Amino acid sequence: MRREQTLADRITGSALWRSVVRHGYPDTQRNQALIIASNVFLHIHPVKIKRYATKVTYTFCLGGLSFFMFLVLTMTGVLLMFYYVPSTDLAYQSMKDIEGSVTFGQLMRNMHRWAAQGMVIAVFLHMGRVFYTGSYKPPREFNWVIGVLLLVVTFLLSFTGYLLPWDQLAFWAVTVGAEIGGATPIIGPQVSRVLLGDYQIGQNTLIRFYTLHVIFLPLVAAFLMAVHFWRIRKDGGISGPL
Amino acid sequence: MAELVQQPTDAAAQIDEKKKQKLLELVRGRAVARPTDLADDEVMVWPSLVVIEAVSAAIFLAIMFVLSVMVNAPLLERADPNKTPNPAKAPWYFLNLQEMLLHMDPALAGIIVPTVALASIAAIPYIDRSPLGVGVLGTSSKGRTIIAFTTVFTSVVLIGLILLDEASGRTGFWMKTVFNDWGWPEWTSGMVMPTLVIGIFVGMLVVMVKKIFNPTTRELIIALYTGFFVTYWLLAIVGTSFRGQGQDLTLPWNLPLVHH
Repeated sequence: MRREQTLADRITGSALWRSVVRHGYPDTQRNQALIIASNVFLHIHPVKIKRYATKVTYTFCLGGLSFFMFLVLTMTGVLLMFYYVPSTDLAYQSMKDIEGSVTFGQLMRNMHRWAAQGMVIAVFLHMGRVFYTGSYKPPREFNWVIGVLLLVVTFLLSFTGYLLPWDQLAFWAVTVGAEIGGATPIIGPQVSRVLLGDYQIGQNTLIRFYTLHVIFLPLVAAFLMAVHFWRIRKDGGISGPL
Repeated sequence: MAELVQQPTDAAAQIDEKKKQKLLELVRGRAVARPTDLADDEVMVWPSLVVIEAVSAAIFLAIMFVLSVMVNAPLLERADPNKTPNPAKAPWYFLNLQEMLLHMDPALAGIIVPTVALASIAAIPYIDRSPLGVGVLGTSSKGRTIIAFTTVFTSVVLIGLILLDEASGRTGFWMKTVFNDWGWPEWTSGMVMPTLVIGIFVGMLVVMVKKIFNPTTRELIIALYTGFFVTYWLLAIVGTSFRGQGQDLTLPWNLPLVHH
């Protein structure tokens, strides 16, 4: 007997729906495989994985959490960019405006701040997890090196963002940081000049840190993450007991 | 043409009769493996992994929301280059470097030590290449004992060194004034002595772990990495919560400014 067509059947059977969604309801293994393979975001995963790789107490979600923090930071960061002005005259006032008069501005700023701190912690602990489970061993040597680079980029992202509020905390923290950079043996003055764009922290420094923070370093991080995730699959998924 | 056709026949004739295999049986079955064929130790990513990812993302988003509603990000008064706060501090994750600045030359504390540390960490997989212990937290019970041992050793040494420098007047190597009196140049107390101190204690850790635990390369690297891990966090905590005005050792509740 032919089942009566429900509204849901009509929608999921329509040409429009089927042009977007290339698989049926994922209650069969075939459709569960198709949903992963036909979706660009899910396709980062293989169709099936080892059972141990789903154990939360093995990874503590730390790598995924680092990536999650990066996504939160990208979204809240774009929203903050609508209001923030990278000028020494206007930066502090735009921070005040974000906190005082922009709808959900304070919430966005808080989330950006705490996610930034969270990402530094998550990336660092992720490195610890990978180390203590011996997951850097062959064939994953190169991905470990990519991971160390991602740690450095995370530090740089957090550090460049630290200056942007242009308050006392930002200014003097970056002063201390720049002094450390200026202590580089042999090329100290040059490092300091490249970092600050001037002899002291000013407009040149702010625009430099801003550009690095909102476009250059996120692109570098995204590039390294693409390699990092791709290598996980090429090296046989996440590590597990032999 | 005829020659070409002839060749395979000649080749077939050369096959060793002893190595020829006989067709024993034909079995009815599936011709190819399908992508959905699951081994006993495998699961489908949808739903087994995707659900975990979605749930953890939801939980952490909720945590971020609640935290951000409850705690505001700090915003002090507008930056003023003429008004130096006391203490002036770097972001907390660099306060371990700032802490080291109090004890040695800035080039050593801020550049050389962190660069050597990061380069050594990146080199780990090219030194320890044995596949032993993959997928086991701490490799073995011996590995986990080494982690505990190194944590205690590193903490005691670091706290001891900080207190030693503090007792001698805080800034620089603890024998700095003595060296100055002898007329020795600045780099002896800023570069040479701190490098020696670091070298001696890292060497001590290696020798002790070797004597007590008879470790494999992996277990020795566990000790060194744990030493780095503990140093990073311990010095960051000291720099964040125990350094007050003039970078003097201070108890956390006496700090002049809550630092974020």
